[in-house]
Formats: sequence, structure tokens, C-alpha cells
Amino acid sequence: MAKTADQYFDDLRETRVWRSIFRSGTGASTLKRALAIQQNVFLHLFSTKVRTRMLSFSATWYLGTLTLGTFFILVATGIPLMLYYHPSVPQAYYDTKDLQFVVSSGLFLRNLHRWSAHAMVFLVFAHMFKVFYRGAYRTPREFNWVIGVILLLITLLLSYTGYLLPWDQLAYWAITVGSNIASAVPLIGNKIHFLLLGGNSVNANALLRFYVLHCMILPLTAIFFVAIHFWRIRKDGGLYAQSSEPAVLRSRPVASEKEAQ
Amino acid sequence: MADTKEFVAVVDSNAKKSPRRIVFITRRTSAQVKTETEDQVQTFPEVLFRAAIAIQVLTIVLVWTSLIFNAPLEGLADPSHTPNPAKAPWYFLGLQEMLHYFPPVVAGVLAPGLVVMALIVIPYFKVNIEAEGFFTKDRERRLRIFYAVAAVLVVFLGTFHVIVAMVPTLIMAGLMLLASQSSAQSPSAFRRYLAAKPLSYWVMTWFLLELMVLTAIGTFFRGPGWSWVLPWKAY
Amino acid sequence: MKHWATSLWQKLFGDSVRAFGVVSIVFLFSIAIAPAKNHFSEWRHYQHGYLKMIRNRSDANTLQRHFDGGIQQIWLPEIGVVDRCTSCHVGMKEGTLRDVSSQPYRPHPVIPHKLDQFGCTMCHRGQGAATTVAEAHNSTLAWEQPILPAKYIESSCGECHRGSLPGTPVLNQGRKLLSRYGCVNCHLVRLPDGTTIKATDAPPSLSHIADKTPREWIYAWLKDPQAYAATSSMPNFQLSDADARDISAFLIANSTPLAGDTATLSAKPSSDPAAGASLYGESFCASCHAVTNAAGNVVGGDVGPELTRVGSKVKPEWLHAWLQNPRRYDPGTGMPHYRFNDREVATLSTFLLGKTDSDLLSNVHLDPATPEQIAHGKRLVSDYGCASCHEIAGIKKPENFAPELSRIGSKSITQLIFLPGMSHTLPDYIAGKIKQPRAFSPALRMPQYSFTTSQIDAVTTALLALNDRSTSLPPSLTVPAAAESNYQPAGKAGKLMADLACFSCHRINGRGGDMAPDLTWEGSSVQREWLVQFFKNPGTLRPALIRRMPRFNVSDSEANELADYILTVYQNPIIDRDFVPPGDDSQGEIELGRQLFYGKYSCQGCHIVETKTDKGYIGPTLTHVGSRLTAAWLYQWMKNPQALRPGTIEPNRAMSDEDARALTAFLVSQKGVAPKEVEKK
Repeated sequence: MAKTADQYFDDLRETRVWRSIFRSGTGASTLKRALAIQQNVFLHLFSTKVRTRMLSFSATWYLGTLTLGTFFILVATGIPLMLYYHPSVPQAYYDTKDLQFVVSSGLFLRNLHRWSAHAMVFLVFAHMFKVFYRGAYRTPREFNWVIGVILLLITLLLSYTGYLLPWDQLAYWAITVGSNIASAVPLIGNKIHFLLLGGNSVNANALLRFYVLHCMILPLTAIFFVAIHFWRIRKDGGLYAQSSEPAVLRSRPVASEKEAQ
Repeated sequence: MADTKEFVAVVDSNAKKSPRRIVFITRRTSAQVKTETEDQVQTFPEVLFRAAIAIQVLTIVLVWTSLIFNAPLEGLADPSHTPNPAKAPWYFLGLQEMLHYFPPVVAGVLAPGLVVMALIVIPYFKVNIEAEGFFTKDRERRLRIFYAVAAVLVVFLGTFHVIVAMVPTLIMAGLMLLASQSSAQSPSAFRRYLAAKPLSYWVMTWFLLELMVLTAIGTFFRGPGWSWVLPWKAY
Repeated sequence: MKHWATSLWQKLFGDSVRAFGVVSIVFLFSIAIAPAKNHFSEWRHYQHGYLKMIRNRSDANTLQRHFDGGIQQIWLPEIGVVDRCTSCHVGMKEGTLRDVSSQPYRPHPVIPHKLDQFGCTMCHRGQGAATTVAEAHNSTLAWEQPILPAKYIESSCGECHRGSLPGTPVLNQGRKLLSRYGCVNCHLVRLPDGTTIKATDAPPSLSHIADKTPREWIYAWLKDPQAYAATSSMPNFQLSDADARDISAFLIANSTPLAGDTATLSAKPSSDPAAGASLYGESFCASCHAVTNAAGNVVGGDVGPELTRVGSKVKPEWLHAWLQNPRRYDPGTGMPHYRFNDREVATLSTFLLGKTDSDLLSNVHLDPATPEQIAHGKRLVSDYGCASCHEIAGIKKPENFAPELSRIGSKSITQLIFLPGMSHTLPDYIAGKIKQPRAFSPALRMPQYSFTTSQIDAVTTALLALNDRSTSLPPSLTVPAAAESNYQPAGKAGKLMADLACFSCHRINGRGGDMAPDLTWEGSSVQREWLVQFFKNPGTLRPALIRRMPRFNVSDSEANELADYILTVYQNPIIDRDFVPPGDDSQGEIELGRQLFYGKYSCQGCHIVETKTDKGYIGPTLTHVGSRLTAAWLYQWMKNPQALRPGTIEPNRAMSDEDARALTAFLVSQKGVAPKEVEKK
């Protein structure tokens, strides 16, 4: 039964249409598989081979992958949410209410977007600490670590700007509290505060600004840096594995290494 | 593994016909490639399928969460009614908790600014690149520095009455003291583990612990007027 | 077993492709059932239940045709209404479902408004946009105005209807109580039209109190006003003995004598022991003043203070002066100036002073006041805001002594502090605050009122109507109250009317009480001769009423002065003053009128013409109507009584001119033998 399905799939992959899309061709050979990665505009960011050791769950906890997953969900849910939303006061709030009460599955979409956003912030933090404790920030991966830090900040900003959009009390005051911190910057604090909000307090201008940031500027910036982030993994020698550490480290008692257990 | 290949810069005789191209490959730059003897697998299908599974499992969890729990929505934003307490999103509550103790310049600007700066410079900070245990070398001097820094930190936190931040600090100081008394030959595996940890590990762990404690307190233990409440009691 | 489990695991997750396949199935399943959250929404459940309910009814086809599935909404952008209540309350407009008593299918009772024009939340509050039971009805983080409990529902009428309506007795009572109990003396209530609610409790001035009452009474009164008079509108400030002692000391020390507020009489009271009581009755004191009888029932009007224990309160010399002319002590009093002679004053005061309560003051023993006590008393008087209600010499009326209540109905719950165990809703908070203000904090100064539960509900209803929406409604939607005018009759007659306090009972040109008939068109309606006689000796117009016009003992010149003024000024322009009344000789017309009276229009159901046979007690007796009312008025009254007196219960029978003329002729012929007969008696 399984074989028949495989055969059908093979036949499909031999069709002209398929071949016109995926040039790498069929076959289980290493070459074909390498080409499958190399000749795909998205997948070519990754290396064609990965150390077997890095496949285990304990090596990375798949935190980077999961973060990417939340990003996918957020884009997928964010776009339909934009269709029901006006970034104006107080319509934004009533749109959110309508999402909750009348739009088909609107409540589900909003729930998924919100919980995924929280999950993404958490996963980005977790990813960063995991990378640190594995020592994966070391040469030659310094710059990718810096890009990771930038992505962390972008994620926080994405979440923070999205927080205002429902225009409810929770949103309003969270943003008020958060943006007041910016005022504390010496000398230019009030200017930053004004620039961020488009006014001296959280108002309709701030909502519009946050909307544009949340739906356009920050996602595009994030995609840009994520692309670099992935590409650099390949360019920096693939996922960091302990064996590529300097010799000094490997002379330590193996028993003390968690990863080696 | 200092097996860097030697390259010779070749100068073409006719520079006008073909542009001069000089390639420098130095140590620890991005293009460094090392020979590997380790087993490898093809990204397709092994890695891609696993990644897909991971993302699917995540989606399943989030979908079910969204089916069961509704996202919060409060009343229409009203600038004239300040809720008490007015809380920032959870990931900023550590900062907000610090704002409770320190002036805004310190808690809101200096501290997060320094953290971001520190995170960025971590990989460029070439002290102890070998990542050996903090107390394995030069133990006496480093102990003295450790005592001084720990004392300054505790006094600093004490002056601002930041008891909540003092607890993780003291725990970390205790662990570091234990690490200083341990070595690679210690009988207990835990002590050998501690002894092998470099300075960056200690600083980062201290930061992580503080972040978690402050965020948890800001999220669950703060009520009206940023007063201390228990999460299971309604206020 | 374990081997079996391992092999299953191998089969499902043995390699990454298999695992991907298995997880994909779960993944697709999860995505596929996500719309279920939407499908199982509550409103679908209720619409389904409705269809099931109507299936077996005889009117199923009609109901089925009216039914419209999906989310329903009433959208009224100009008043901010987005009500989706009818998504679940499907049968709202189905009159034939009257037998259904279970929610959400019960039809709405008939009200003067159309549901499509007002929506639901305008009256019932709750969250109209919500489509789940909990979110729509309860108070949530996103919505703090839950469904308004039915007992307060009239407050919503009051948001638009600023005046009283026949259909809103609770709201009317609540509004009246706010004025009557002086709530608005301390709490400013600015109405949406910019005016403020005025108090009607008329608290007496305390600047000359020492002439009126002994200090012991003040002390007992301060401790518990209701012990003296159950109907007193003075609330209980729950003062300690020392505080009551000091306040009474200050009030006595602060009081200054007023020229003419005490009097000694030259005449002795009547020797007849019943004379006092009968004078009290003849003067119709009970129209305004109440007395608690032996059975504990309060009998009498609530315009003036209760007199059950008045003998324990007032000093005899003050009472004499007051009965001679109350306006000397209090120029603004609503008490008429009866022109009693000294003998009558002595008789009446003896009767009143006999109304004592020995228990009231028996335990009050006050030592002479010390300066410290007086100073402390003065401070307490300021602290408790006594001057908000009472005029007290040397103490200014405090501005905004208590929180303004103009928008109390929109107060955010987050700004309220509730008592433990109290449900967190605004109506409960307001009711709780009125019921026991000091329970919220002993430091509060708001006194304890002795309201009944229904009175508390009424006041709460009136307060809930004072909210943001009520102030922001478009003017086209509001129904303003009839403004209280400050009409003042002119000249000598005007002074006389003030002295007799006509406005305490009568309403003229939009000012005055509602106890007695509106006199705005009195000049058109009555005959001069009758009016003069009526002032001299008011007869009984409506036998069913216990409150009647008292005799003020006016002199002939005063009666003539008043009659002239009334006949000249209080004329209705629609009355044809040149109306030629049917002459006495037109017997045919009179007889026709009699037939119409007893036959076609059956007027005897409410009125009496033949004292022996007629039994109508609802309307005025008409035996003397021919010598009381003018023919022009009667004719116009037959044609359209509501045009002359809006709201009168006299039905408009749409009479033809001929019928009206005949009835007028009949009524004009009913001259009786009065008023001479009464005069003789």
C-alpha cells in the first residue's frame, strides 16, 4: 500500500509541470538531495548537510525552528486580522469586539495570533540562552549572534507594537507605561517619546504609527534579518557542534559535559 | 586546528585587462572551513522533515490553546481611568519591577541599554576564549575580585532595598564560592561541573535568574500601587 | 505489552517521514476543527432551540416566516447602539409567544417605544455587541455595565425623560426623594439641561433656634431625629453623646433673639376641652401636618413637620407668635398666615402643647455649656456640613460639601471600593451607600437615612439615570421636564397670596404645589360672587377628599382684593368671554341637558346633582355648579376639558355644539341654595 503511494508520488514528480517547478529531479541520491536544497530559493539559505549529532532534540531543543514556526503562524493569522481592522480611535476597539463576537472564527484568529506572539517572545529568549549555554556564539559566529540580538529586539518591538492595536485599557496603559520609560533617556528622552507616539501621549497618532510598524516595517525588517541569520548559519560552518571547539576544551573530563551524556 | 591554507597573492602582469583581485583569508573570519570527520546527514529529507514536525507540533499546541483560552480584551481605552496596577506586557515586567526601585534613568535606560550592549559584545570579548573554569587560573586574585564585586552588588541592591534581586545574587554568589572550592578532580559531578564554568557563564546565569525572578514577581506578585500581593488572592 | 507498544511507536514514528505523516494528520485535524469554536457559539444553540420550540405550535408557520437565522443586530449609530441581543432573544417581537415564560424566547412586554428604534441596551444596559450569554449580561473586564436589574429599569427612562411620567412611579419617587430629603443640599446634581436639582425639604434656619426650642430637645433631636418624628427628613448623624451636647451648646449660644418671635397672649384659651382639636380640624392643619395616632399610623400631610410630639419641642411663647404670624419668624415658610385671634391662638397652642412625649427628654440632663464645648460644637457643625442645609449665623454654606452626583450613573467600578461580600455592580454600590453610608468607612460624614428598601431602590433608580449617556444624548431624543417657573403674582394681591402661602398647595402658571387645583385659569372658570364667599368660608367642593381648603379668616377687603386679581389675571384666552349663556327661561334646553346628563353621557357616575339619588364621588359635586362656574367655562369644558386642564381625568366626549350647550344650560341651572345656606350654618 505504502509502495503504491510512493509510486504515485514518483509519477507525479516525473510530470512536466513538476519538473518545470522543481529542477533538481527525482532520486534518492545524495546529489539529488543536495540539489533539492541548493536549487530552492528559500532552502538554499541552509546547508545541504547537517551533522547527525545536531539532529537530536537535546542539541538545540529546536528552539530556532519553533521560533520560525511562530513567525509563520503570526504572518498567517495577522494578514486576515488586518482585513477586519481599522487603525483609528475608537473604531480599532470596536473592530476587535466584532472580531470576538461576529466575524466567523475571528476570536480563534485573534487568540492564535496573540498566544503565538507570546510564544514567540518566549522562544526567542529561550533560543538566545540555549545558544549562549552551548557556546554557539563563539568565533566565527559572533556576527550571527549579533543578528540574533537584533532579532530579539525586533521581536520585542513587534510584540510591543501589536499590544496597542486592540485599543483597550490593557493595551493603552501597557503602552503608556512602556513608552514613559523612553522619556527617561537623558536629554533626548522626550523627543524619542514624541517620535514614538507621534504626540505627547498615547493617542490616535500612536495607534497609526504602531500599526504601520507592526504590520509593515517590523515584519519586513524581521524577514530581512532572519534571512541573513539563516544564511550565516551555513556560511559560519553549520550548526555549532561541540567537537569544533578548541582542543583545550575537549581535554576536560567528559563526565562534566551534559551534552556528552 | 591551525591548518589555515597558505594563499599567495598573485599579481597579473596586465592589470588593465583583468582586474587585480587579492584574497585574504585570515583566521576566524566567516569563510573559515574546517575539515570534518563527523557523520553528516542530508538536510533534505532528514532536517527538513524534523523541522516540519516541530513546527506542526507547535501549531497543534497553539491551535488547541486558542480553542480553549480566549485572548484578553478589556474595556475601551480611557485616558482618564488609570487601572491599578497598570502593567506593561509581561516581557517588560522585569523592567517595570526595577522601575519600582531605581530611578527611571537607571532602570529604564541604563540597565536595558547595558544588557543589550553586553549581549552584543559577548562574542567579541576575547577574555578567556578557551572558556576554562573561572577559578582554574589565578585563583587568589580572582577570588578577591569576586568578593569585591559581590559585596558591591549586594550593598548596591541593599541601598535601594531590592530584596527580590538580592536573592538570586546571593544564590549565584554561593554557587560561585562552591565553584572556587571545586576543581576538575572533585568527587561530585556537580562540583566538577561548576568548576569548569567560565566567567561568562556566571554572569549570564545571574542575568537569566534575575530576569526570571523579576519578571515572575512583576507578573504574579504585584497588585494595586505595585504593592506585594499573592497571585491566588483576588485584589 | 511493552513490545507491542514499541513496535507501534516504530510504525508511527520510526523514521522522520512516517512521523511527519502521522503528525500531519493530527495537524490537519486540529486546523480542520478550529472553526468548531465558531460553530458551537451560543447564539446558534439558542436559535436552534427556538426553532425546536416553535415547531409544534399552532402558529409555527408565521413564526417560522418571521425567523431570520444568523447574527441579528439593531444598529443605531447616532446613539451608539450596536445590539445583537436579538440573535438569541429571537421571539422578542412575537406577540403570540406571550405564553412563553422562559428566556431567551420570552417576547418583550408592550412599551411605548419600538424596539428597532431604541435597541435593547439603551434601557437594559449590558453589552449589546456581545453574542455570548456571559459577555452580554455580566460585568466583565471589557464591560462593566451588566444588565440592569429589573427594579432599577425605570432609571433608563429617566435618561431621556427629564420630567415625571405616569409609567415611571419608582423614578418619580426617587427624584422626589432626592429633593425632599435634602440630598441635593450637600451633593450637587447638575442636570443635563444645565440646571441643578433644588431641595424641597425647607430646613429651618437655626440662627434664632434658642427662642423656639430648649437645648434638651436639640440634643435629643440630634441623637435621633426619628425618635421625635418618624417622618422627619433630618437624617441621623450618629453623633456621640458628647458631640450632640457640644453641637446643641453651640447652637443655643450662637442663636440671637428675633424681634416678635415670642408673644404673650391677652386672651385665655376656650374652656371647651374639645375646642383645640376642632380648631385644628377646621383649619385643616392635617392637610400639611401629620400626627402619629395611637395605632402608630402617620395620619396627615407631609408638607409641614410632623406634630406628634410638638409639645416637647417648642416653647409656648414662640408657638403663640408663630400661630399669630409664621412669617415673622420665617419669612419663607410654606405655612399660611391664618388670621387667628388671640383666643384661637391660645386654644390651638394649648392643644398643640399638649402633644408631648415624656420619654423623649426624660434622660437628657445637660450641664451648662463651657466655652470649650461651644467651640468644639462649632467645629463639629462645620465638619458635618450642617450649614449645607440649615442657615446658621456665622457659618457659611459650604461649597461642594459632598461629591457631585451629576454623573454618578456612569461611575467606573474600578473607582469604587466595595464592602466585603457585596456584588461588584454600580447599582448595588449606590444602594449600599444609601442604606448604610458609614459602613464604608466610619470616617465618612454622610448621615444615616431611615429609608425603606423601596425608597432606597427609588433613589438608586433616580441616581442611575444621571449618567454620561443622559448628558450626551442628542437634543432630539430628550424630553425635557416642565420647568418650574418662578412666577410671582404682582401687587397687593401678590403679597396677600404669599402671606396665605397659596403656592404651598395650588399651582399657578407653573409654580406651586400639587395638593390643590391648578388656578392658572381660575379667573375664567369661577363667578366672582362665589369666589368671595369661598375665601370667607371655603365649602366642600370634593366630598371624597380629606384635604380641603382651610379657612384663613380673611377680611372682606382681602377677599375682594384676591377675587378681583384672580378674575382679572387668571383668564384663559380660549374661553369666549362673550359667550352668551342660555337663559333661565330656556327650559327646553335645560331638560335636554338633563337627559344628556343622565342618559347619553351618564355624568352621574362621577358627579352628584341630586344628592338623594346620585352616587358619583370621583368628580366635584355639581349641586351648586350654576352659582360657582361661569357658563363660558362650562361650555368650553364640555367641548374639550383637556384643553383647559391638561391631564384631567374628565373624559373628552367630543360633544356636538348642541349637546354642549344643552348640558351647559342644565348645569348653569344647578344653583342650589348655596352659598347662603352654608353661611347661615
